[in-house]
Amino acid sequence: MSDTLSFLKKQVKENIQTYAILIALVFIWVLFTILTDGLYVGSQNFSNLFRQMTITSFLAIGMVLIIVTGNIDLSVGKVAGFVSVVAAKFQDDIWFQFLPDNPVLTTILTIIIGIAVGTLFEMVQGYLVAYLHVPSFIVTLGGSWILNGAILVVTKGQTIAANQPLFSFIAQGYLKPTLGWILAAVIIIVLFLSMIQKRRNRVKYGFEPSPLILDIIKIIFYSILIFVYVFIVNKFKGVQFPVFLLAIAVVVMSYISSNTRIGRYAYSIGGNREAARLSGVNIKKNVFIVFVMMGILCGVGGVVLASYVGYGTIAAGQGYELDAIASCILGGTSTLGGVGTIFGAIIGALIMASLTSGLQMMNVTAAWQYILKGLVLVLAVLADVYLKKKK
Amino acid sequence: MKLEVLGMANDVILDIQNVTKQFPGVTALDDVSIKIKRGEIHGICGENGAGKSTLMLILKGVHPYGTYEGKILYEGEELILEAGGIRQASKKGIAIVFQELTLIPDMSVGENVFLGREPVKRTGINWNKLYSDTQAILNKYDLDIDASETVRNLGVGKMQLTEIAKALSEDAKILILDEPTSALSEDEIDRLMEILEGLKRHGVTCIYITHKLPELFRITDTVTVLRDGKVVTTESTDNLNEAQLIKYMVGREIKERFPRGQNNPGEVLLSVNGLHAVDPNQSNKEVLKGVDFNVRRGEIFGIAGLMGSGRTELVTTLFGEYGKITEGTIKLDGHEINVKNSHQAMMKGISLVPEDRKRFGLVLIQSIQKNISLANLDQFSTSFRINFNAENKACDYYSKKLSIKAPNLEMLCEKLSGGNQQKVVISKWLMSNPKILIMDDPTRGIDIGAKFEIYKLMNQLSEEGISIIMISSDLEEIIGMCDRIMVMCEGQSVGILEQDEFDREKIMAMATGLTKKNHFLAKENIL
Repeated sequence: MSDTLSFLKKQVKENIQTYAILIALVFIWVLFTILTDGLYVGSQNFSNLFRQMTITSFLAIGMVLIIVTGNIDLSVGKVAGFVSVVAAKFQDDIWFQFLPDNPVLTTILTIIIGIAVGTLFEMVQGYLVAYLHVPSFIVTLGGSWILNGAILVVTKGQTIAANQPLFSFIAQGYLKPTLGWILAAVIIIVLFLSMIQKRRNRVKYGFEPSPLILDIIKIIFYSILIFVYVFIVNKFKGVQFPVFLLAIAVVVMSYISSNTRIGRYAYSIGGNREAARLSGVNIKKNVFIVFVMMGILCGVGGVVLASYVGYGTIAAGQGYELDAIASCILGGTSTLGGVGTIFGAIIGALIMASLTSGLQMMNVTAAWQYILKGLVLVLAVLADVYLKKKK
Repeated sequence: MKLEVLGMANDVILDIQNVTKQFPGVTALDDVSIKIKRGEIHGICGENGAGKSTLMLILKGVHPYGTYEGKILYEGEELILEAGGIRQASKKGIAIVFQELTLIPDMSVGENVFLGREPVKRTGINWNKLYSDTQAILNKYDLDIDASETVRNLGVGKMQLTEIAKALSEDAKILILDEPTSALSEDEIDRLMEILEGLKRHGVTCIYITHKLPELFRITDTVTVLRDGKVVTTESTDNLNEAQLIKYMVGREIKERFPRGQNNPGEVLLSVNGLHAVDPNQSNKEVLKGVDFNVRRGEIFGIAGLMGSGRTELVTTLFGEYGKITEGTIKLDGHEINVKNSHQAMMKGISLVPEDRKRFGLVLIQSIQKNISLANLDQFSTSFRINFNAENKACDYYSKKLSIKAPNLEMLCEKLSGGNQQKVVISKWLMSNPKILIMDDPTRGIDIGAKFEIYKLMNQLSEEGISIIMISSDLEEIIGMCDRIMVMCEGQSVGILEQDEFDREKIMAMATGLTKKNHFLAKENIL
């Protein structure tokens, strides 16, 4: 038992940053719950809160690896915005002319086109950064201006509707409550099976697996979280479809960042570019891949954005890149590169969304919302700097 | 007044009394007492982690008064350096020159010397005064440096001297030098020694921290040996010899510093003929101007040469990461090869332990395991998955084989000592199963114990049939460890010496371009 305790202590000590940000999140929730007489954690607000964070989150989880490799992408907001107006254009205009009355096919095609547009644009930017050595700050700043113009060209300065029922489901749909429960059950079973598999593998390679009791506590903890979440959102309308999509993206990106060579190389490049190069890491290729992944996520984010707001506008995606970057930083990604997690970025995005949502509920004006968000970001990083120094 | 009385009463300028400094889990200094006499050059030596740097950081005020136990008397008064005031020590006359250069390369010598305390007049910085004061200091100590020169344009040696001038500019009574020669050539070391002797004549007391035993014998009056945070001995240098010192430092006798025995190298594995190469960024700058050598299987082949002789350029070119080859051939196992990058070199069986492990060898913010496996992830991963257990097992094997001292493989490399860091780099490259292991100054800045372990490992590898190409600035080491030595000078190979021809002076003469091997031999024969 003392073994387990010391293991726990070590875990807490090593992940102090992760725990600190989780505590901050809980603190924000408790604070707003008190200030709004419990309305804040009501199922409707809770459900909306998670739905609101999805678009920024798609961008943030791609941004983590970009920043980790020592780059930055200032264009993601506009890429997502451009994708959203292109998607709207197809939904409202082009499909209407060429493929009328075929909602399933057109929706699928819109999604594919949206992702392709985002990916292509980031491929070009990634190529310029990785192979032609133009600083990412410049490439993506230029990129965002170009897209700003492109958005005007596509929209001709007007708003394009993208509110066709099936397309709207992407960001506004809900899974039926029973389906939500089934999903929760499946996730927990998968978690459990993968734990068993992991322990077996450790033994196969002659290692001592981590204490069983800890693994079980972990699974129980995650199960409770999942059940509580599904319980609350089911009280409103059910599991939000965009959150479901985001969860998939988070799992995939987390897996890539920690379990594949692409992820490992990204962290090494950010940690020490020269050492990585001399170790045979293909820096150009890996930085390029990171940008391509960013492009796919921008594409998904853009399609969700079009579906979420129901139209494509000239202001689409304005400022989202900064929200995404702020989420990464709040979540512990280092601006110096080499450090950062997908999970952290999601919590960061959740904190930003929670703040916005709470302040809106309290009828705080937009001006003060900005001021408070700015303060929180700077103070959070200040606290982090202070904690690290103390360590 | 008081000073004088005390100064007369005892000759001790700095009296460190029973200082103990603890960090969580480690006692860095354990009841350390050292008396530094006025006007002497006092050497402090010990392995890495012996407590030398902690002691120095206390004297600098980085670990302020109150964070350690014991007492330090300076000029008879208790030395109290408070937290946060890094300049206090220099104002009191204690000047410290750190191992790593702390100059700003794009500023002039004068700007660097007066950085943070520029003389001002009403309209801003008084540049005339700044430069004339700097020049006065430089002239006072006979340093041949122009105060208005940009630091970037100075050689490493002059940079080091500028650093010393900066330290002395505040009327230092005690000058503390931490490994000042680690980046200097033999000539520059000579120059530094002369300057230190000059300072001694000016009455400056000097604390000289180093690993390098010959320097201790050459320059110091007294030597204090630290081991595991304790003072092992303080003795007059005249009463010591090298073997004793090593014994004090490592706490055990190392019979042979260089454990290289006889060996029987096999057939030729690598042969380089007439190699010319240019700087990849400046195609008119030729960095290799004719290099010829071959390396046999299981041989330890040394490359000697001064900084800038092209030795690092040669090995990084062999590794596919630097020079653009314009002429000549490289053959491995009889087949001509042309590697374009480190990955291709590894595939062919060439590995490089690069110089400057912190800059080129390690991702310091990552764990031991991630560093060891970085070059070898292909061995235990598919496109979609790294097999963590296989990775862990393989890294564990090498960490044990090289006896890396760390609680586990999750430990971050930045927390390891220099010797252990180097072992991590070597592990990384051994895991790639090389036929040829190139080591560029592998023992630079690591302690004697770890050096010995690396030497033993080199022997073991050569017995296993791996060929080793070793670059070293330490002539004794290269003579002690290698089967043959190639000397380089200005991008050319000027000769290859067999074991029975090894001689310090001969190598130096060839490396400085004074003579080619044959000339030298001819001259010797005549004599």
